[in-house]
Amino acid sequence: MTQEPTPEPTPEDAEQPWERLDPRMLLVHPFRQLGPLLPLLVPVVVAGRALSGPFNAPWELLGLLVVAGTGVWSYLTTEYRLGPERVELRRGLLARRVLTAPLDRVRTVDLSSTLVHRLLGLASVRIGTGTSADGSGLELDGLRTARAEALRRSLLERAALARAEADGPDNGDAEPTADLQADLSTEPSPALPADRPPTTVLRLDPRWARYAPLSMAGLALSGVVVGGGSQVVVPVLQALGINPRPEWLPHTWSGAVALTVLLLLVVLVAVPVLAALGYLATSWGLVLTREAGPRGDVWRLRRGLLTTRETTLDAARVSGVVLSAPVGLRAVGAGRLEAMTTGLDREDRGTLELVPPAPAAVLRTTGAAVLDDPDPLDRLDAGLARHGAAATRRRWRRTLTPLLVVAPVALVVPLLLPHATPGVLLDGLRLGVPVACAVLLLPAAWLARSRARALGHALTERHLVARQGSLVQRTHVLDLDHVIGWTWRDSWFQRRAGLVSLDATTAGGPQRVTVLDVPEDVAVALALRAQPGLLEPFTQVTGPEEGRGANAPVR
Amino acid sequence: MPAGPVRLRPPAHRLDRRALLRWYVGEAGIVVLGVAIVLIAVWLVPDRFVPPWLPWLLIGLDVVQALVVPPWRYRVHRWEVTDEAVYTQTGWWTRERRLAPLSRVQTVDVDQGVLDRALGLAEVRVTTASAAGALRIPYLALPAAEQLAAELTRAARASGGDGT
Repeated sequence: MTQEPTPEPTPEDAEQPWERLDPRMLLVHPFRQLGPLLPLLVPVVVAGRALSGPFNAPWELLGLLVVAGTGVWSYLTTEYRLGPERVELRRGLLARRVLTAPLDRVRTVDLSSTLVHRLLGLASVRIGTGTSADGSGLELDGLRTARAEALRRSLLERAALARAEADGPDNGDAEPTADLQADLSTEPSPALPADRPPTTVLRLDPRWARYAPLSMAGLALSGVVVGGGSQVVVPVLQALGINPRPEWLPHTWSGAVALTVLLLLVVLVAVPVLAALGYLATSWGLVLTREAGPRGDVWRLRRGLLTTRETTLDAARVSGVVLSAPVGLRAVGAGRLEAMTTGLDREDRGTLELVPPAPAAVLRTTGAAVLDDPDPLDRLDAGLARHGAAATRRRWRRTLTPLLVVAPVALVVPLLLPHATPGVLLDGLRLGVPVACAVLLLPAAWLARSRARALGHALTERHLVARQGSLVQRTHVLDLDHVIGWTWRDSWFQRRAGLVSLDATTAGGPQRVTVLDVPEDVAVALALRAQPGLLEPFTQVTGPEEGRGANAPVR
Repeated sequence: MPAGPVRLRPPAHRLDRRALLRWYVGEAGIVVLGVAIVLIAVWLVPDRFVPPWLPWLLIGLDVVQALVVPPWRYRVHRWEVTDEAVYTQTGWWTRERRLAPLSRVQTVDVDQGVLDRALGLAEVRVTTASAAGALRIPYLALPAAEQLAAELTRAARASGGDGT
């Protein structure tokens, strides 16, 4: 990997005047500084009231002044300029930092705005260069929305121009994704962004918010709300000087039961509503489009009600998709879709949620569009190869063994401790644990069956498909061009069952896609077909047909 | 394509013989640590919760593992490098066979710990752009490791690509 030094500014670049960001940022700044501190500030203010600081001065106001002061300082010392060849952002007065993004390296220009930004008509412009040499770009936070939109358009146009000039037809620049771009882009060369109107692949239907409570995030959220809330309520009430056990609370059993039921009902209604509202807040107006960018096609994802966010992703950097369906969503035929992305930068590798919880049919069409190939997801219905009886047995064994081992151990251990004092603890061990295991046996059996049924894989012309899991069932679809190695893993138990887990390693997303517990010859055949030529020298024919090797046609 | 079930064959080369010694030394350290933990636990936990044979059982398991695991490891660990690919096999209870085309290799490192230095051993570590683990060839003789790393670096560069 080469690390090109950023070129010195050309005279034209240096002639451009430095500009300040929008002065309304002065109002945004205090919110941003105080926002994350709010959970801290509340107790500080409450405690401050209670303790009353020295000289009774309003110390809180002094803090606000400091925050406002730093806002003014950062506004006055932050400037940017736009040259014909580069964008620069200058920060600080004493310790000055200049961030530079050469235009021919600009890959993405994304706009985002928080609620405060939007109230003031501002947007933040993030310019991504996708190289690690100079960080991963710079952020102009913030500009008037109209100015930001114009800047985005002009930056992308100029980036395409600068790139076309810098590159020529082909100057041997080791652009890693050049060949992939050629495959994926419908146009022969990366042309100006204005050439082709964007194609819209997906628009959010607000009715999908009904799926939100069923997703794992929804369940977790409710857990956090209920658990965390109950932890905090009493101390806060006490701090505020309110008696946490007032007289009107029922002191009888029936009263307590009634109150509990009431609270449960509130939670049962409130949690789904909260989850749906959260869904709408983050995903409102979600639009996924494919359009021409400075370096081949890009995916653009816009979403958000209060905070609008825009993400741009080079189509060539998408190495596949992940379909994930937590058990709740699966029951109603829904799931989520993520894209696996590769980058030169550590930080821009990962997964990006393309579709929040939505019906399976929507995931299929969107996934097919992102993969540019409907085949992999069509296989999900009947076309996945099963992993066989040994794999099924292994799923059952792995799910049930813990229960079947723990129960007898709990029964036997007390016998080994003749001197242990009898008591609640010992009884719990001898009685409670086996009973709990017995009760859990039925759900565990369901889990084992559903895990075994989830197992499946397929190899299409361009993709590897692998499905596993039950509580969260995930289907990975990985572009074979993005496979950078293979790993066959088998524990002693797996070897005895003749199974192996095959990993296709990749630079993006989860770093590897696992085909769980397949017979070894299947795993080898899979890698052989996926990347012909690579594996042949390391394979051998075994088993009963071994003797036929002599008769095999000479290659 | 041949008719019978096709399997992977093990990589061609074993590690340096001193690897066995290196693993024995490592396991010996673990045994000392394990015995210390058992003794401290026996001292801390009230006697009535500890059957008299339990500490001996734990220590026994520790020693057996120290005797059994190094030869097991040595039998599993193998490596091979061709013009096209690196192929390694590591592990003992869980075996891992890894294959990476040279065109996807990012870095080749030679790694030497304190114990390795005393024994004149080194580990060659080949990384790809995936963070899912490097290909490791532990415990070659230092000159052999350095030579292998140099060859790998040259071959990886010759096969082109930037590893993503």
